[in-house]
Amino acid sequence: MPFSKNVLLFGFLLFFCSFSVNAQDNYTINGLVKDSLSGETLIGVTLKFTATSQSGTSTNAYGFYSYKLIPGEYTLSVSYIGYRSINRKVSINSDLRLDLNMVPDNILEEIVISSEKRNDNIVNAQMGVAKINLSEIRNVPVLFGERDVLKTLQLLPGIKSAGEGNSGFYVRGGSTDQNLILLDEAPVYNASHLLGFFSTFNSDAIKDVSVFKGGMPAQYGGRLSSVLDIRMNDGNKKEFTAEGGIGLISSRLKVEGPLIKDKSSFMISGRRTYADAFLALSKDSSINKNTLYFYDLNAKVNYQIDDKNTLYLSGYFGRDELGLSETFGFDWGNATSTLRWNHLFSNRLFSNTSLIYSNYNYVIENFLEENNFRVNSSIRDMNLKQDFQLALNNSHNIRFGLDLIHHTIAPGNITASATSSVNEVTIEKRKGNEIAAYISDEWEVNDKFNLVYGLRASSFYLFGPGVFPTYDKNGITTSSKAYTSGQLVKSYFNLEPRISASYQLNEFSSLKSSYTRNTQNLHLMSNSTASSPTDLYIMSSNNVKPEIADQIALGYFRNFNNDNYEFSTELYFKQMQNQIDYRSGTDLRGNTNVESELLFGGGRAFGIELFLKKRFGKLNGWVGYTLSKTERKFNDIDLGKWFNAKQDRTHDLSLVGIYKATERWTFSSTFVFNTGNAVTFPAGKYQLNNKTVYYYPERNSDRMPNYHRLDLSATLEGKPGRKLQSSWSFGIYNLYNRKNAYSIDFRDDLDNPTRTQAVRTTLFGIIPSITWNFKF
Amino acid sequence: MKKYTQNLRLIFCLINSIVLLSSCEKVIDLELKNADPLIVIEGTVSNQSENHFVRISKTIPFHQSASFKGVKGAQVTLKSSAGLSVSFTEVTEGIYRSPRLRGTPGLTYTLDVLVEGKTYSAKSTMPSPVIPDSIGFKTLSFFGNSNIYPTVYYNDPPKIQNQYRYILRVNGKLQGDLVFEDRFNDGNTVSDVIIYDGDDDIKSGDIVDIEMQSIDRNVFKYFFALSQIGGNGGPPVAPANPESNFSNRALGIFNACTKSTKSVVLK
Repeated sequence: MPFSKNVLLFGFLLFFCSFSVNAQDNYTINGLVKDSLSGETLIGVTLKFTATSQSGTSTNAYGFYSYKLIPGEYTLSVSYIGYRSINRKVSINSDLRLDLNMVPDNILEEIVISSEKRNDNIVNAQMGVAKINLSEIRNVPVLFGERDVLKTLQLLPGIKSAGEGNSGFYVRGGSTDQNLILLDEAPVYNASHLLGFFSTFNSDAIKDVSVFKGGMPAQYGGRLSSVLDIRMNDGNKKEFTAEGGIGLISSRLKVEGPLIKDKSSFMISGRRTYADAFLALSKDSSINKNTLYFYDLNAKVNYQIDDKNTLYLSGYFGRDELGLSETFGFDWGNATSTLRWNHLFSNRLFSNTSLIYSNYNYVIENFLEENNFRVNSSIRDMNLKQDFQLALNNSHNIRFGLDLIHHTIAPGNITASATSSVNEVTIEKRKGNEIAAYISDEWEVNDKFNLVYGLRASSFYLFGPGVFPTYDKNGITTSSKAYTSGQLVKSYFNLEPRISASYQLNEFSSLKSSYTRNTQNLHLMSNSTASSPTDLYIMSSNNVKPEIADQIALGYFRNFNNDNYEFSTELYFKQMQNQIDYRSGTDLRGNTNVESELLFGGGRAFGIELFLKKRFGKLNGWVGYTLSKTERKFNDIDLGKWFNAKQDRTHDLSLVGIYKATERWTFSSTFVFNTGNAVTFPAGKYQLNNKTVYYYPERNSDRMPNYHRLDLSATLEGKPGRKLQSSWSFGIYNLYNRKNAYSIDFRDDLDNPTRTQAVRTTLFGIIPSITWNFKF
Repeated sequence: MKKYTQNLRLIFCLINSIVLLSSCEKVIDLELKNADPLIVIEGTVSNQSENHFVRISKTIPFHQSASFKGVKGAQVTLKSSAGLSVSFTEVTEGIYRSPRLRGTPGLTYTLDVLVEGKTYSAKSTMPSPVIPDSIGFKTLSFFGNSNIYPTVYYNDPPKIQNQYRYILRVNGKLQGDLVFEDRFNDGNTVSDVIIYDGDDDIKSGDIVDIEMQSIDRNVFKYFFALSQIGGNGGPPVAPANPESNFSNRALGIFNACTKSTKSVVLK
């Protein structure tokens, strides 16, 4: 694409030109920003230095900031949502280490009267980013009262739910596997429990959530659509605390505290559901003998060796267990761990080294004697990341690094007892390396113009051992070659330019624009209309090329009323190459020739997103609306015509309101409306061996009924000042009991087999919930 | 395995209905498109010495009462790779019958249909026969429903890719039509459990007929695709018309198969 090459060239030019101005007699101020009560580092805190003009920076993912200033007197304003702002004088006449403690502000500010600006969203060049505040997650009503990061995210424009109660999501026309979901930097391959109804993220253990739906910074890569970056709590450095909750379908407990005061702390958080308790209520032995539950465990320890070195070790382990009486067992889950070392090479050069392990696997067991078998399938990553952040001078922040990932995919290993009719089969493992290097610069060009530009060079290598067939466009094997261990089968190299710019029209409004290219070498195989834990990942190969997406976005950002209201609109256009679909009658399960079943085509998506948020006050919340179109095109589907992707939804509206009525009562409500998914309904029928068969017209040319739902919740906080703080959360999901269609199936009328009928399945009607939360 | 996963989403319905006594399925009025009528051809030739039939019809709108809308006046010709060529005669509207003949395993058959000025042609290769050893019954329970399912025992020929189709009739009424393959049990003594989707449960005293067919790969893929759309396996796949072996975009399938039928009475 010549366009991307030009952007690239432009980027390089900028990079080399921009450092020519260099003030030598600057001093550096740096330090950590922490919560004064727990000692947790705070991510994304805004620091503003005001002398004659204002400039500033923000803390990184480890609460660290570094900034260069010319000598002089400054007013430092430090602000962060949910905390009291700090305003203090600093004199810069040498390098300065300044750690800051921020006091949490438990009472939402009634009226904002503050001298400092809260207009980061205006100034910052980054666009397409959304941050979720954890207090919002706490208050937004959800299904069964289970607080859920992913479901709260789906209330933002451009991010759409993959289905009723589903934690899968679509970002700007991408599919669910095009989201990179990181938990403390470790990729989480299946972010859902219980077939998608709950996410794997226990919100007790989470400190910070940001999602990038466009304008992806260069340090992220490997997926086309979005990055969801979730950071776990480090653990209270000051005192031991425990908190938890008992809910309708699950209970949770978190314990945290110092190991060495102010130096080292730990956090451990667990959750287990008891959905199967409902099954046990049944008198029927074929129901009450079934199991169905999941659990999660998050743990983290950190050790601050000295001012320059900190170590973090964090892990996640979660599993779903499903058992049907004595016939069938199915369990799946993720395990991740991350070891991180923060090191300050100098007061301006921050380094983070991460060693990451991630594993997702599932096991299916059939216990029927003649057909017994056990299937084991997994995807495993070993990942090394080296990231440097350099505060070059007060207008350039450079970030560069390396990202090395080794993937091992074991698609399926079938074992069976000697008496079983099932043969033992092992589908060959696949091994691949992703190696990426990146550099980016956040440049404050002048008071009005900000720029983030960078480049990510990503390469992918597929290795033997194994036999690698090559297929023609009809899926017929044309050749097949055996490779030895470590022998290169295929490699790909892609340059991914990323650029994002903002121009401040005045102190309360700005225009932003961005272009990004993303590539993806891991592809989720799923030909069903819903996600399944058995969906399999494959890597790019001699048959499968990397997926590529180019996105251009344009945005207008404006704050009103002393930054109390935030409005933004973004327009995006995205073009996708090497998208994947499947031949008719493809069986993806245990298929040794999966790649022969694939069709390759293109995609395009465009839309406009509107977002209005009231940020402070007794009543706050937001309205998000997206108007969009997402299409795909494959030569072998509908003769190569563009068709609606299944995630195409014309209108998508979310309303969220949170009202703090009194000291103790908080009420909240959400309303969602969206156009039904694009689906294919029959346009006729015929008889085949006396059974009714439906005739389907063009792919996804019909619509499910519109989806809408209103949820309410109320939280009653306990009386303040007690040792044991407790609160009650009450919720009602789907207040007016809307019968939203989960699926529509077609069948012969049971009473009159000559007629056919459409049957709607609704999953969740009105569902009340109650949770008791405690903390001490 | 399919039926199990299909039942997973019903678990939630179940929880829902236990807790809230609300039902999750409802028949709804849905406006559907009406496609122009399209030609549908269903033809079979088997290794039995019998009359073979070809049924030619057209699609009808979804909301119309199902009646077989036969197409008359077609010329139907069956040829084999060994030089056979026979014409079919129309018995009733849309139903065409061959003279009595026995198909030969290993031969490729071509069915040509000339109707309304267009020729539709399909090829199918008759596989070697595989005969069921016996029929048994198994009781399986899926979330509260305990059912009896017939099981077909046979020896799968080793080192050959085999596909099977079972047509289940209980007391003469069609209850199931499903396909299996030997991908995971090649060369073994196999027991295929016929998890049928018909409405009637099998009870003691019922006469159970199972026709076992050996079918070629394309025919298998056709029927497998049909079962996937039906939501008959886990989350249903995005529905599309299964790939027919007929040319000229006719719907339906031509199946050259070997078949044998076993009949048992459930005690």
